[in-house]
Amino acid sequence: MSFEINNYTKSREMFDRAAKVIPSGVYGHLGPAEGCFIPVSAFPLFGDRAQGSYFWDVDGNKFIDYMCAYGPNVLGYNDPDVDAAAMEQAKICNCTTSPSTKMIEFAELLVDTVNCADWAFFAKNGGDVTTAAIMTARAATHRKKIVFVNGFYHGVAPWTQKVDYPGVIEEDVANNIYIPWNDVSAFENAIAENDGEIAAFIATPYMHGNFLDNELPADGYWQKIRELCTKNGIVLIIDDVRAGFRLDLAGSDHYYGFDADLICFCKALANGWNVSALCGKDFLKGAISGLSYTGSYWLSAVPFAAGIACINKMKQLNTPALFREKGLKLTNGLKAAAANNGLNLVVSGEPALFYLRLADDDSLMMHQEWVAEMVKRGIFVTSHHNHFMNASLTDEDIAHTVEVAEEAFSVVRKNHPELG
Amino acid sequence: MIDQKTLAYINLYAVLGTLENLCELVPEASAMLTNAKPISIGFEVKDGPSATITFNNGKCRMEQGVSKCDVKLPFSSCEKFNGLIDGTVTPIPSKGFQHIKFLLKTFTPLTDLLSKYMRPDPKDLKNKDFFEKSTTLMFYTIAVAISQIANNDKIGQFSADHIVNGEIGFSIKNGPAATIRAKDGRLITIKQASENPRAAMEFASIELARDLFDGNINAVACIGTGAITMKGMISMIDNLNRLLDRVALYLA
Repeated sequence: MSFEINNYTKSREMFDRAAKVIPSGVYGHLGPAEGCFIPVSAFPLFGDRAQGSYFWDVDGNKFIDYMCAYGPNVLGYNDPDVDAAAMEQAKICNCTTSPSTKMIEFAELLVDTVNCADWAFFAKNGGDVTTAAIMTARAATHRKKIVFVNGFYHGVAPWTQKVDYPGVIEEDVANNIYIPWNDVSAFENAIAENDGEIAAFIATPYMHGNFLDNELPADGYWQKIRELCTKNGIVLIIDDVRAGFRLDLAGSDHYYGFDADLICFCKALANGWNVSALCGKDFLKGAISGLSYTGSYWLSAVPFAAGIACINKMKQLNTPALFREKGLKLTNGLKAAAANNGLNLVVSGEPALFYLRLADDDSLMMHQEWVAEMVKRGIFVTSHHNHFMNASLTDEDIAHTVEVAEEAFSVVRKNHPELG
Repeated sequence: MIDQKTLAYINLYAVLGTLENLCELVPEASAMLTNAKPISIGFEVKDGPSATITFNNGKCRMEQGVSKCDVKLPFSSCEKFNGLIDGTVTPIPSKGFQHIKFLLKTFTPLTDLLSKYMRPDPKDLKNKDFFEKSTTLMFYTIAVAISQIANNDKIGQFSADHIVNGEIGFSIKNGPAATIRAKDGRLITIKQASENPRAAMEFASIELARDLFDGNINAVACIGTGAITMKGMISMIDNLNRLLDRVALYLA
């Protein structure tokens, strides 16, 4: 079977129009540069509508979307239960002078759901709450240094960026300490070299950095990190913005058998409605209470209503188990399709957030060619980032994806006679 | 902030190193050398770079070190050497006084010609041939400066440390090409196309490259329009772009 190749005429027209009034046309991770649209001609640039696991671009091309808006789409685009809850709340109130009690309901639900949570603090984006976590740790410990794991991504605030990034100055990152993933000794050394100066250790629950095979925690890694943090008065922050609620509704720290002091959520929290949350242990409640840290829309009620409906539906569907099962089914199918064409597709990370890499060259160029062939045929995957499962994905979607993958792999194979 | 030592490495290897390409591309340059006897000039900068430029039969070639040079120009500091490039310091040879005529009558006009192409009068750029040669020379200067910044500038070293081993192809479509080779956090530029790049960045046209070099447009914006193509290990390209940002700081 031969699948139709997409045409992106209107996408290109819209992009040219956008570029006149918007920096880079589409900036950030949804744009062609950070989104690694390689080549850019293979990718849609603007969407028109979305439903469930699909989106349609402005040219009318339909895609099965394995990026899920980079995570927020956890139940399916336009989930009827979540959207109904949001619309119902919108009729009552949203952004008001005196906040709605929906905020209390949402916080209570998070405290009941998230294993390490004694309280919840709300904002809008993941970066809002990673920053809140760092400020809380510094306020609580009166220390300044933060330990990061190489390959990290904790948002776009200056402290999360690197010294060579445009707009970042040395002082922004002067108190950052970088250590390798899964390396307990490196953390021990950092503690010894910065005695009494480290406020926090921040990391994602497993290494899901870009451009690299994702790595799970080694046996006992998190338990040792937890022990060292406790012993040395260091706040343990889990950035669960990306993986949160996809591995375990009680938090990814719970999934890996340890307790974070602070845990950051965003993407899967409200199925695309804009809210993020920092949850934490009781001993840090006083410190965060004292922060001067707020935003115009942070206490809006509509996303809280959406978040309540989203968490309840995830519980009802047991989405972590669903994502594992479907993620394995999909990635096993993709690996087999690659093998059928004499290619080696490496799958890494957790099945709910699988990362793909064709290992037949060491440059990712062949992998980028395959990704482009997939996207041109209506399967939206990326070459640089982990993917996301959502609850509306059907077995038929998975079967169709694997069929397209077979064709895309065969195209790559034909284009590389040197593989023999 | 500009580091004088890094600037000295750029001025020697990237700026004066472009004399090699000037002599290849611009007949006026090679004509200055055609009837001259082979001669080599060594530049020795205390606590900085050293290299020898050899002129022979209308061509020139740069090699590291000053062990085999006819004229040696010593500089007591990186700042002094950078002053030579700025035109604020006049060097005094420690060896080869008899070749002072070459320095004054040939080498200085040659570097003046290089300046004409590297810091062009806008009127000259309206001439297509001049425009292409000027942009090509800038390309080579920038390609070499990337490696010097990676190896010497504190923030550049941070970027280089995040580049995995392998070659980055850096090119202008239907124009000049260079290879940036990374190994264990150090970079070296080779002024020819990479045969086996692990990552590649190509500008769609020489006009686009010029606009980028002049700071009129941004690389990230150009990726969306397709005017810059990238492929392979994008983390290498990402860090290359951070080094390119710093090239603008040093060569401004």
